Amino acid sequence: MAGLLLSSTEKVFIVHGVQEDFRSDGRSNIDYRPMELETDVVSHASGSARLRLANTDILVGIKTEIDTPKPDKPDMGKIEFFVDCSANATPEFEGRGGENLASSISNTMQRAYHSSQAFDLKQLCIVEGKQCWKLYVDILILECGGNLFDAVSLATKAALFNTRIPLVKALLMDGGNVDLQLSDDPYDFKFLDVGSAPLLVTLCKIGEKCVVDPSAEEESCSVISLIVGITGNSKSYCADKGASNLSDVDIKCSTISMNGPGSLAPKTLKNAIHQGIIAAKVLDDSLGQALLRERRENINSMKSSYGFLK
Amino acid sequence: MPLDFRRFNGPEDSVSYKIYTKDYLKTYDEQLKDLYDENGKRKDGRELNEARSMCMFCMFARTDMVSQAKGSAYVELRKTKVVCSVFDPREIPHQNEFRQLGQLYCEVKFAPFSCPRKRRPYVPDVEEKALSVALRQALEPAVCRHFFPNYQIDVLIYILEHDGSCLAAAINAAGLALANAAVPMFDIITSCSVAVIGNKMFIDPTEIEEHIAKNSTEVNHGIITMSVLSQLKQISDFTQIGSMDVECVTKVMEVLLKECEIIVPNIQRILVVDVVKNFELKKHLEAETKKREEILKKKMDEWRSLLNGQ
Repeated sequence: MAGLLLSSTEKVFIVHGVQEDFRSDGRSNIDYRPMELETDVVSHASGSARLRLANTDILVGIKTEIDTPKPDKPDMGKIEFFVDCSANATPEFEGRGGENLASSISNTMQRAYHSSQAFDLKQLCIVEGKQCWKLYVDILILECGGNLFDAVSLATKAALFNTRIPLVKALLMDGGNVDLQLSDDPYDFKFLDVGSAPLLVTLCKIGEKCVVDPSAEEESCSVISLIVGITGNSKSYCADKGASNLSDVDIKCSTISMNGPGSLAPKTLKNAIHQGIIAAKVLDDSLGQALLRERRENINSMKSSYGFLK
Repeated sequence: MPLDFRRFNGPEDSVSYKIYTKDYLKTYDEQLKDLYDENGKRKDGRELNEARSMCMFCMFARTDMVSQAKGSAYVELRKTKVVCSVFDPREIPHQNEFRQLGQLYCEVKFAPFSCPRKRRPYVPDVEEKALSVALRQALEPAVCRHFFPNYQIDVLIYILEHDGSCLAAAINAAGLALANAAVPMFDIITSCSVAVIGNKMFIDPTEIEEHIAKNSTEVNHGIITMSVLSQLKQISDFTQIGSMDVECVTKVMEVLLKECEIIVPNIQRILVVDVVKNFELKKHLEAETKKREEILKKKMDEWRSLLNGQ
């Protein structure tokens, strides 16, 4: 995607490999590359996460602020996404070069999180009609190695899982004004319910087949890719032992969009959506397990933090 | 919200007067009941599965709307009114590298008075930028971009009144305008959208239906817009927002494929009328030219004979 120059022979090699379900790095069409995830890397943010997906490096920081809710949605908080393609990733992003890509990613994330079944904004309400929490999700793209949408959505979900919302200790209603008193104790907070937050899966059409998690080289061989946002399964994010008794919620598509100068046949679109759902289910489960394990280690003070050193 | 400081802007904390009307206090259920009556007819008299393009006097489209543009079109879907102008290929501004394929520069703008809920600012906001990207995504596979390498064609959409299905109307208008401008295309492009609320599908939704579908809390809710290249049977753009399960998405896709195909004969008729009109104009002009040449020849012969006679 970023200034890669492949010869036509190399492209043919990649296309033929995909037809045989055997990609250049040995993966099958529905395999993801190995990922590393660490949360709580930025101390001043309410929540943060850093994800490395092969060569793609994403850092998400979440800031919480108090705001007045919208007049037509008095019991709902707000969430806003900002994406910054840093010039570190590739020289093309210098100045305003990365603006198109950044706005496309933030629009897709905003659409994916729009539905109340994807992310319930009611949990961000403090006083109905007067005060609510506003989450600013700032996504920083440090390195581009293909498959930005997936990495961004994974890192965002991890950062939201890590976000600590301070608890309200006292509330003073003075006429129409509300005075809040938040707790000073850094350990006095609540976590957000992000089990159903959506994960984006990019399906890149190469030749006749669709591949999941394309590398940068594979992306340059394709003219069209489909991005499907699938809501998560809250069960995988619940640490209670009784969670296995929770019924499996049907997974939903919270956003679907296409990216690229090509077009798709209806049958390919249908197959790609099904393929995306299978990949998203597995991804969601593994992310849930990893995040719960990290939280357990944190509580037992066994967590060793590496930050950017590894 | 970035303000345009060259114009007068209203006070920043002014809100729409509509939040003080009785309609505003209706609960979600009351609003939903308002949408359709016991016979299953919608507020504007259509059936649930009736698109505005089909009923008499509902869809009106014409080309040659803007005389200064190379090609233009005007589409009216009852209350939704969209104008599109297409201009000649021009050099891509701020560009250094050579591109093998031509570019499409798409811009969608709402008139400040077009939306029922609030006034649109002059500076393009996030929603307009997202619509511009979606329009470009839909048009790129239809246009033969190899005929104008390293050039860009401007497709400018101005929405005069917004009553739902804006993107679909814009794509239809852009397809007509491009054909009117004699830009080589692979196929006719048509587009339609559907709003899903619970188990009801509203084809070609109005603005109120779209608003309720986006903010509903039902199990299946949302809006899908799709654009299709009819003869090639390719989907050039598919956008979904909301939360729907896969069966719902597949069902809506089938419905949209049929709806987009129904619009095609209308578009073909308008284009044929346009071409026939241009031919007749050409014939008329040629006849006029011949007449004038006759008169000129006679005069020339007269003068020649006078000169020779001298």
